[in-house]
Amino acid sequence: MIRNTMKTIEYSAVAVLSFLCLTTESAWSQQITAIQGGTVLTMAGETLERATVLVRDGKIAEVGANVRVPGNATIVDATGKYVMPGIIDAMTYYGIRPFELNDPSSPATPQNRAIQAYYPYGDFMRGTTGISVDKNLISGGVTTVYIAPGDRQVIGGQGAVVKTWGPDFNSMIVREPAAIDMTIGETAKREDQNPTTRMGIAALLRRILLEAQEFSGKMEEYETKQAEGDPEATPPGRDLGKEALRRLLSHEIPARIEVDYLDDIRTAIRIAEEFGFDLILDSGLGAYKIKDVLAENGIPVVLGPPTHPFIIGGEVSMNADLYNLMNEYNAAELSDAGVKVAIGSFGFGFGSFGGATQGRWLLIEAAYATGYGLSDEDALRAVTINAAEILGVDDRIGSLEPGKDADVIVLDGYPLNIKTWVDLVMIDGELVHERGN
Amino acid sequence: MNTSYGSMLGLLLVFVMQSAPLCAQDSGNSFALRGARVHTAAGPPIENGTVIVENGKIAAVGSAIRIPSGVQVVDVEGKTVIPGLIDEHSHLGTYDFGDVNEFTEPIGPEHRALDALHMEVRDWYEAVKGGVTTIVTGPGSGERMGGQSITIKTFGENLEQRILKESRELKMAINARNMSHIPTIRSTFLKAREYMEKWDEYEAGDKEGPPPSRDLRLEAMVPVLRGEEKVRCHIHYANDMIAFLRLKDEFGFDLTFIHSSEAYKVADEIARRDVAVIVLPLATRIGVTDDLLFGNTQLYEAGVRMSLHTDHPVVHQKLLRLNAGLAIRYGLPEDYALRTVTMNPAISSRIDDRVGSIEVGKDADLVVLDGTWYEPSTRVDIVFVDGVRAFDRANERSGLEEEN
Repeated sequence: MIRNTMKTIEYSAVAVLSFLCLTTESAWSQQITAIQGGTVLTMAGETLERATVLVRDGKIAEVGANVRVPGNATIVDATGKYVMPGIIDAMTYYGIRPFELNDPSSPATPQNRAIQAYYPYGDFMRGTTGISVDKNLISGGVTTVYIAPGDRQVIGGQGAVVKTWGPDFNSMIVREPAAIDMTIGETAKREDQNPTTRMGIAALLRRILLEAQEFSGKMEEYETKQAEGDPEATPPGRDLGKEALRRLLSHEIPARIEVDYLDDIRTAIRIAEEFGFDLILDSGLGAYKIKDVLAENGIPVVLGPPTHPFIIGGEVSMNADLYNLMNEYNAAELSDAGVKVAIGSFGFGFGSFGGATQGRWLLIEAAYATGYGLSDEDALRAVTINAAEILGVDDRIGSLEPGKDADVIVLDGYPLNIKTWVDLVMIDGELVHERGN
Repeated sequence: MNTSYGSMLGLLLVFVMQSAPLCAQDSGNSFALRGARVHTAAGPPIENGTVIVENGKIAAVGSAIRIPSGVQVVDVEGKTVIPGLIDEHSHLGTYDFGDVNEFTEPIGPEHRALDALHMEVRDWYEAVKGGVTTIVTGPGSGERMGGQSITIKTFGENLEQRILKESRELKMAINARNMSHIPTIRSTFLKAREYMEKWDEYEAGDKEGPPPSRDLRLEAMVPVLRGEEKVRCHIHYANDMIAFLRLKDEFGFDLTFIHSSEAYKVADEIARRDVAVIVLPLATRIGVTDDLLFGNTQLYEAGVRMSLHTDHPVVHQKLLRLNAGLAIRYGLPEDYALRTVTMNPAISSRIDDRVGSIEVGKDADLVVLDGTWYEPSTRVDIVFVDGVRAFDRANERSGLEEEN
């Protein structure tokens, strides 16, 4: 598919070398690439036939049917293929060992950060220098993931948005912290310590948020005094957890609360209103039952995969109540009501069976949802631009628009067909996967 | 527990009430489906095909068939028709109350899934909705010999009518490269052989004196030793497969591997012994690698007879068709992929005289779909079991109209 074969080999070699040498700047990213001739699903409102995506210095320079391509550009021939932004998996536990996902020391650890446990270097004591790509994940076109702490605490900690490839760890991070992850429901209960009930969970959450509010007040007071040049100004003692929650209370980051039952969704909304923070619902099996309230309040939902909805406390059919709550029309009902919906894999590594790869079938999950009323457009949005907007990173990723990161995938057929494969994956303008290579 | 199963029962009742008038519509299980693309699983697809059903059996199938006057015609123009899907390994109905593993008896060939089968769970209905009309459901893999599975339809008037085979095939399990598993199974086989010989001697003799005392455990293994029934063994690692094949070589039983994650690494050994494989559920949240998924195609190329399964609840029963779609994605030919969820499990389960393909004389278990049969976006429109309309999407209750 690549016309300029010699260049391809050269730049593939560069890409491979950059895996090995941990280069911070590679030759590829400074180059100009033109992906030509494909059907371009920009996810910014239009589908362009036989269009060109021009990439310069790792960013998207131009998208359109009549783009002038500089003579020194590397040409990627996408004739007869589909071109779209990289897939975003809006909810995962990737790169974190399952037993490190939850902190048993306390039901609420807002100071904990998923990024501290995240390991992007492939298998322990295997492989070579530098960032090791999970090939299974990237081969499905996934270019960005949200990584979260587990769901066995009321407040698990802070999640992050990271790319699936980068020249080094820090360059992979798109946004951190990106949200505070919380859980209201069965898994947040504890055996014999507070909280053991939903009343306990809600009360605990309120107490902690109240303390964070007081802390924020003191910080603001201090900052005001300091700005006024008051020599007496003294800050409250440092507290990493409260500092994180202050970001929540000041709308810098949202709360992502994992909820399934209608009553838990209502509790989440109630507490968000009381303390005035931005709310994202995770999993949301019963969200369709309260779709109008969610639409009215602009509360988005990151749903689990429709074939295997993420369930608090185990697989769906093992819990009869959740099972009966489950409805395959959930995504369509929410979207049609005006709720912003993303579909996440909620995937994690699973020991010897395989790595964190579930996200590579997100397009198949989205396709499944179209069988239950979700429009193709909304299905594609659920794994691209909607996910980017919900994660607060749509200034950088989620659609093919000038100025955004050149996270582009080329597919050999319609994205929602099961036989379609991702032919090529580009992250920040870097060719990181080519099918068959 | 009571409330939840109460509501499940409620669902089931709704379902029965819905289907009753529909059965009548199809005038005594006799009708003709007309105008669909028919995948028979016994030959190439038939364009603009007709399937004639008489008294719950397939009476004719083809492209240029005259529909006798008076036969009710179901117009399925533009749709796709496939045989009812068969899942060769499931725990539907057995796991629901934690009845799937009798851990205290690791050698339990006398355990029978029928004695633990719950018919009131919603999953039977979900299976029908997914186009799955026959399943082999049985004990779990917590024991070396879990017991006997049952081969049953997902829909029907009563339990007796639904059971295709209350088989005495044995479910076994080898877990993770262990030194004791094979010797434990082997010594049981040796004892069973002695037991069989003792009874053979008694039966062949003048039957004077008391008969040998009965042993339910060993008795259950005799049909397997005689080749009348088969062994299905849960197995993941290639070395375990080689070890189990040695056991097969010694006792000569008919064998199918279940899950078979690394079967592709020893495909020739498996093919040479005519052992069938049921491959790992594909549409799973477990991070299955691409190597394994392409491995299934290598098994096909080596000539191994293959079935796909859900291992419900590992993958939900209704998603069997999606498994086949994923197998196609990873290289399995479309027609063969259909066989892995219809004809192949029927042959393995020795029920291919009744189900598994759309052929004259077989049960009218038919699935009508609104598009390409393996696409995830395609929905099941109508399901017939024994010619009875068991599901019709036109009457589907979405549940969305419920209160907030």
